[in-house]
Amino acid sequence: MGVVPAKITPQERLLSLIVALMASGRGLTKEQVLSSVSGYREAREEGRSQEALERMFERDKEDLRTLGVPIHTVGDAADPDDLREARYRIPKTEYVLPEDLTFTPAEIAVLNLAGAVWSEESLSADAQSALRKIRALGLDVDEPIIGFAPRISLRDPAFPALRRANEEGRVVRFTYVKPGDEKARLRRVSPLALFEYEGRWHVYGIDLDLGEERTFLLSRIAGKVDVTRETFDPALREGAGARALAQLAEVARRFEAVIEVQPDTEASLRLRRRGTVEGDVVRLHYVDGHILADELASYGPEVRVLSPDELRDEVIARLERVLALHCPDGTPQGTPMVRGGDAS
Amino acid sequence: MSAQANPVASDRVAIVMTLVPYIIEHGPTKVEDAARLFGVTPAVMREMVENLNVIGLPGGMDNELFSIDWDAFDEQDEIVLVNVVAFERAPRLTSREAAALLAGLQYAQAVPVVAEQGVVSGLIAKLSRGAGAPPGELVLAPDPVDDVRATVSDALTRGRAVSFTYRPVDGEAMTRTVDPIRILASDAQWYLRGWCHLRRAVRTFHLERVSDLVVTDIPAGTHDDHETALFSGSRGEVAVRIRYANDLAPLLGQYLDQAEIESGPDESVATLHVADPRALKRLATRRGGGVEVIEPADARIAAAEWAKAGLARYGR
Repeated sequence: MGVVPAKITPQERLLSLIVALMASGRGLTKEQVLSSVSGYREAREEGRSQEALERMFERDKEDLRTLGVPIHTVGDAADPDDLREARYRIPKTEYVLPEDLTFTPAEIAVLNLAGAVWSEESLSADAQSALRKIRALGLDVDEPIIGFAPRISLRDPAFPALRRANEEGRVVRFTYVKPGDEKARLRRVSPLALFEYEGRWHVYGIDLDLGEERTFLLSRIAGKVDVTRETFDPALREGAGARALAQLAEVARRFEAVIEVQPDTEASLRLRRRGTVEGDVVRLHYVDGHILADELASYGPEVRVLSPDELRDEVIARLERVLALHCPDGTPQGTPMVRGGDAS
Repeated sequence: MSAQANPVASDRVAIVMTLVPYIIEHGPTKVEDAARLFGVTPAVMREMVENLNVIGLPGGMDNELFSIDWDAFDEQDEIVLVNVVAFERAPRLTSREAAALLAGLQYAQAVPVVAEQGVVSGLIAKLSRGAGAPPGELVLAPDPVDDVRATVSDALTRGRAVSFTYRPVDGEAMTRTVDPIRILASDAQWYLRGWCHLRRAVRTFHLERVSDLVVTDIPAGTHDDHETALFSGSRGEVAVRIRYANDLAPLLGQYLDQAEIESGPDESVATLHVADPRALKRLATRRGGGVEVIEPADARIAAAEWAKAGLARYGR
C-alpha cells in the first residue's frame, strides 16, 4: 500500500467535507461534521476547542463557496434562525455541470480560442480552469483553429481589484483624475460592469456620492483601488455592460469633430476610415475629447481641427506643452526633418 | 503559464474536483500530462494523487475511500482510478470562470473563422447555464469582422499569397506580396504575420495600413515562424531615452515591453531601441508633455519641430 500521511492536510479536510455533504441526502448537522469528517475528527481528538472547530468549519464553508461549491443550510422549520439543528448539504444537481449540457467539437475549438485570449493573469487562470472542466466532460475536439492569435493585454493596474469587486458585489474606492480638473477626487463606486471600448477598459457603476451611474476610464484611476467591506446587490449588474455601451454610443452621436486632414499622411490613413470624408475634411464622432485630442496631437501638422473649439484648444495645448518641454526658447536647433525610410 | 510548485489548499481542492472526472472520461493518464494540464509541477500532482487515497465518506470502510492503482502509479507514473466515491462529473463553472470565457468569446467573434461558424450565441447560452452563479459583467464592445480581416483570413485558409499596398509610419507606400502565416490581434489592433516576397523574410503588417488587398493565385509556401509575440522580433538599432511620469506607464504599453527602465518615485527614464528615433515625435505629442524625448538630439529636435509645425497650422 502507499503512503499514509501522518497529518490530515487542509485540502484533505476540505475534500472530505465535500464528499460527506454530497453523500448525505438529508444533510449533516454541524455536530455530525465536527465529530465524523476526516480532519475535524482528528482535530477534536487532539483536544482542539469547540469554538476553534466551529471557526474552522465556517472558514471551510466560505472557501468551498468561493470554489463554486453550493452549500445549502436547511434550518429548523419552526425557527429558521436557530442554526443549532441546521443541516448542511451539497445538492449534487447544483454541484455538477447540468447532465444534458454538452458541446460539439466545433464549439470546443472556439472555446479553446476564446480561453487563450487573456494575457492578464487572473483572467487567464479562470478561463483555463473553465476549459479544464469542459474537457473533463470527455467530449471530442475538432482540429484547433490555427492561424489566429488574438490577445487582450489589459495593462491597467486597477483591473484585478475592480474585477474582484464586481464579482463579489463590493463597493470600491479610488482616486480619479478627470482631465481638466485641478484636483483628483476620491470616488466611492459600486462597480456594476467592466467593459472594453475601442481598446480601452472602463468601469461603469453607481457613484455613491452623486447617487448616479457613471463611467470611469481605468487609465485615469490614480494609485490603488480599495475594495471595501460594503456590498451592493449583485443583481444590479445584470445588463449594466450593455447599458454602458449604449450610453457611450449616445455620447458619440452628440459629439462630432470636423478635421482637415492632409492627404497621404499617417493621419489620413488612420482617420479617413473612421469618419465621413468630403475632400480633405473628415467628420468623426467621438466619446472622449481628451483621448481624441491625444491622438490628433500625435499627427502634428498632418491635421487641423476646424471644430469644436474645445477640441482645437486641447490639441493646441498639448502641442505647446511638447514644444516648451523639448525646446524652451521656441526654436528647435538642428537639421531639417527628412522622411524616414521603410520601417517595416 | 509556469507550473505551480506549491498551490494553496483551495487550489488543490479545485484541481482534484476536475482531475477525477477528467481521468474517468479520458482513462489512465500520465502524471506528467495531468501536471501540465493543471499547471502544477509533477511532484505536486503526484502528492495530490497519493493523498486522494485518504479521501472518503466519514468513518469510511475501504470501498468508501478513493483508491488508485498503486502498481501503475509507482511503476509507470500513471494515474488509474480504482474506486471513486465522488466527483464523477465535472463541477459547474464558477462565476469568475464563466465571465472569463464569456468575455473571451465576445472578443473571439472578431476572428473571421469564428464568426463564420455561428456558434457563439449558442455557446453564450450554454456557458450561462453551466455557471453555478451569475457571472460578473465583463463586456467587450462588438468589433465586426471587416473586409481586410475577412480577405486575409480567406487567403490563409486557402493557402494563397495576398498582395496589397502597405504604408508604414512615415514611409512610402509599397506593394507587397505576402504568404500569410497567422493573424494576430492585440486588443483592438489587428496584424498579419507573413513571409514577405520582397524582403524574403517574415514580417508583421498592421492591417490598418493595408489597402488594395487581393488574394492572388500564388500558392503560399510553408514558413517556420514560432513567434507569437507581436513586437519581440523588431528591436531597432537606435537607443532612445525618454522620461515619463510613472502614471503614464500603462499607456506606453508595448514601447516599454523591451525597454531598460530606471524607475524613480514619480518619474522614470526608459531606454528604447527603435528603427527610426524621429518616429518618437508622434509618441511625445500624443502624450502632450507627459513624455520627454531626452536623447539622441535629432529625436528631441524632431519632437519639438513636430509640435511647432502642428502649431503653425493654427497660426501660432
